[in-house]
Amino acid sequence: MFVKDLYAISPQSTFNLTFEAGEVLEIVADRYLSHEPNYLEFIPAGQLRRMGKAVRMGIGAGLPLIQRNEPLDGIIIGSANGGLEDCIKFLNQIVDYEEGVLTPTNFVQSTPNALAGQLAILSTNSGYNCTHTNGSLAFENALIDTQLQLSQSADSTAFLVGAVEEISEYNYNIDTHAGRYKGEATSNSSLLSSKTDGTICGEGATTFVLTNNSTDAYAEIVDVTQITCPTKEELTEMIHVFLQENNLNTEDIDTIVLGNNGDGRLDFWYNDVVTPLFPTAQTLHYKQFVGNYRTVSAFGLYFTVQHMRRLIANTSQKRPKNALIYNHFDGVRHGFILVKNSAES
Amino acid sequence: MSDTRGALELEFKNHLIKYLNLLEVKPEDINNEEPLFGGDLGLDSIDSVELIVLLDREYGIKIKNPTDGRQILVNVNTIVDYIEANRTK
Amino acid sequence: MEKVCITGIGAISAIGFSVNEQIDALRAGRNGLGHAKHFQSVYAQQLHFGEIDLSDEALRERVGNLEAPDLTRTSLIAIHAFQEAVNQAQLDQETLSSRRTGFISSSTVGGMCYTDHLYNDANNKETASQFVKSYEGSDHTLQIVRLFNIKGFTDTINTACSSSANAILLGCQLINAGKLDRVIVGGADCLAKYTVNGFNSLRILSENQCAPFDANRDGLNLGEAGAYLVLEKASIVGDKPILGYVSGWGNANDAFHPSATSDEARGPLLAMNAALNVAGLQANEIDYINAHGTGTQNNDQTESFAFQQLFDKVPPYNSTKSYTGHTLAAAGALEAIFTLSSLMHQELYPSLQVKETISDFEFQPIKSFQKGVALKHAQSNSFGFGGNCTSLILSACL
Repeated sequence: MFVKDLYAISPQSTFNLTFEAGEVLEIVADRYLSHEPNYLEFIPAGQLRRMGKAVRMGIGAGLPLIQRNEPLDGIIIGSANGGLEDCIKFLNQIVDYEEGVLTPTNFVQSTPNALAGQLAILSTNSGYNCTHTNGSLAFENALIDTQLQLSQSADSTAFLVGAVEEISEYNYNIDTHAGRYKGEATSNSSLLSSKTDGTICGEGATTFVLTNNSTDAYAEIVDVTQITCPTKEELTEMIHVFLQENNLNTEDIDTIVLGNNGDGRLDFWYNDVVTPLFPTAQTLHYKQFVGNYRTVSAFGLYFTVQHMRRLIANTSQKRPKNALIYNHFDGVRHGFILVKNSAES
Repeated sequence: MSDTRGALELEFKNHLIKYLNLLEVKPEDINNEEPLFGGDLGLDSIDSVELIVLLDREYGIKIKNPTDGRQILVNVNTIVDYIEANRTK
Repeated sequence: MEKVCITGIGAISAIGFSVNEQIDALRAGRNGLGHAKHFQSVYAQQLHFGEIDLSDEALRERVGNLEAPDLTRTSLIAIHAFQEAVNQAQLDQETLSSRRTGFISSSTVGGMCYTDHLYNDANNKETASQFVKSYEGSDHTLQIVRLFNIKGFTDTINTACSSSANAILLGCQLINAGKLDRVIVGGADCLAKYTVNGFNSLRILSENQCAPFDANRDGLNLGEAGAYLVLEKASIVGDKPILGYVSGWGNANDAFHPSATSDEARGPLLAMNAALNVAGLQANEIDYINAHGTGTQNNDQTESFAFQQLFDKVPPYNSTKSYTGHTLAAAGALEAIFTLSSLMHQELYPSLQVKETISDFEFQPIKSFQKGVALKHAQSNSFGFGGNCTSLILSACL
């Protein structure tokens, strides 16, 4: 399948492409919040007022792509947690008001499928519609779903596919309890060289128009795979099989895009297990721009495609031809996205 | 119009804006006779439930039946009339 | 295109702890709706629920006292149903761990079922609870992946009330595309303050036993369930018994309102027609419908309207939510299993609590248990908040 269009709302100024132009923001914080556009320019105020941040960012990143690429055949979203802020606001109401009279808006907004549903309503798109919530593989699963839907159609078909995650005070607390964050303000420019435990939490919405039609495509997503709870040997074996299935060997991969996030406890998956398999490949990182969150591999894909389009200024990296994007979360769920530069094929 | 009535209307409009998160709307933008539903404010059925919660939490008024709600939740005047007559706090 | 065979089913709900117990209840017309015994809420005695009559401790014991302190009720229910399904399909450890075996689950409340623990952890009130890593919607999936050492494709779907119907749909498509040989599909949800208060805030919960398709229906009852099916491609089934086939699937969005279906039932009709198209069937070849039938004014009216539009003569239909309540993410898979039972045993179960049928329509739901009915193809519908509509067609293995 092919990437025909893409958009990102992230802690960098991606929404207006100044990030790509070389203006990388330095953020010194214990969490990296999104740099959001003025939504009132394209979301009706009557709708915007109800949206929690996840839905707002998702609509903000999805609607422009839908409008630029209509008609689309369906909407497929990956989000581990959806509108967690609304969700826990509602839970807090349950506890604080002892299950009394509660407001439904937080409830309706908090379900992870609220974004795909509202995108469908706002664009009256009655096509295929699905939301994947499989933790840090939710975006990879959305891609695999899209691949299946596109493969069933002989006609030119296109889907809006995206991922969204928000930082709420609540999930920040929960993940801090679980030992996932550094907790201290950390500059994103030194995040990847940090020696302390944990990472910095980020957020964002990243959307793509994916199609089975190669005309004017920016890149081709050749294949996607994933595994949960592998041993190092199983992961290595899986990578070889994955490449074989796509008629590639390790030398064909000229770029590996890795999810290093400044948490030294888990970097061995990137540095010791995967990197040595690709001795001839260059390495790209992306979490120093946006922090870590469960569906952040969508930003990894965005960054890779923008590189392939030569949109990333001030880079010494070569333009990728065959890139393998690898991300894991907690060392538990591991996802791989194989991307090919369309212009080079 | 008495000052207390005016103060109550203003207070209610502020609650309305807060509970419904009406973006870029100020109390003075809301006309007392303007229909809340089907008018410029663009409120819908979910908002009517939010208004029932507002009346409960701020004024101790319980509206059990949504059909009764439809008679009361017409415009700012009808609601403030109802609050004056039925408030328990 | 290879046929997608069903070789194992497992389910637990308010009407039984195994598929067979639940079939007995369907035949006897015995619902599982009542006040809650185990679920703690101010509504426990006020509303009706479809509660699984087991405490968390009893559930934990039934699944074999697993060495995992952070299993929530959602996970325990899921594991219970999963075990039954894979046992019936005779999947050994090697098969379960094959890269050619997938697992697609679904849940709406997921790991957020213990409201009070979550409240404390999320608001930084106390030291972390044992569930601090279990709150994600996909936690139960991960628990099963770990316990059963699954190494292939895994997914969790949340399209609200149509979640596990979409798990079935995706599983069928993965087999069809040759990506997997077999896949375990379904979902689990347990009663939780989160969903009960959420549906209550929308004013659609009934204080009575829910009465889908009754003229005076006044809302739904929330239920809890776990339900899984083992799907295998025909060429690898061997001499294992085939329980039936999934022959059609369709997914569409109503694109109308976050929590209500359009009057003209656009999404439901698109999904039903897409499923017929995949199955290569005409509407008049459908012999039975397991309706979404929640018992709300809106759903049953618009679903009936869709039947009227789709069928010249509406086939026998029921809502098995009149037995189990609305089990949310589990409903699609649970009702697919009940549909399969009708096809396997060539019998129809009555729709319960219907006193007066909806006057706008000439058809009415199944009134009494019927044996020896010729059933070849059946439709099972699931419609969710967010406009997510899915229709499945199951076919008998005769």
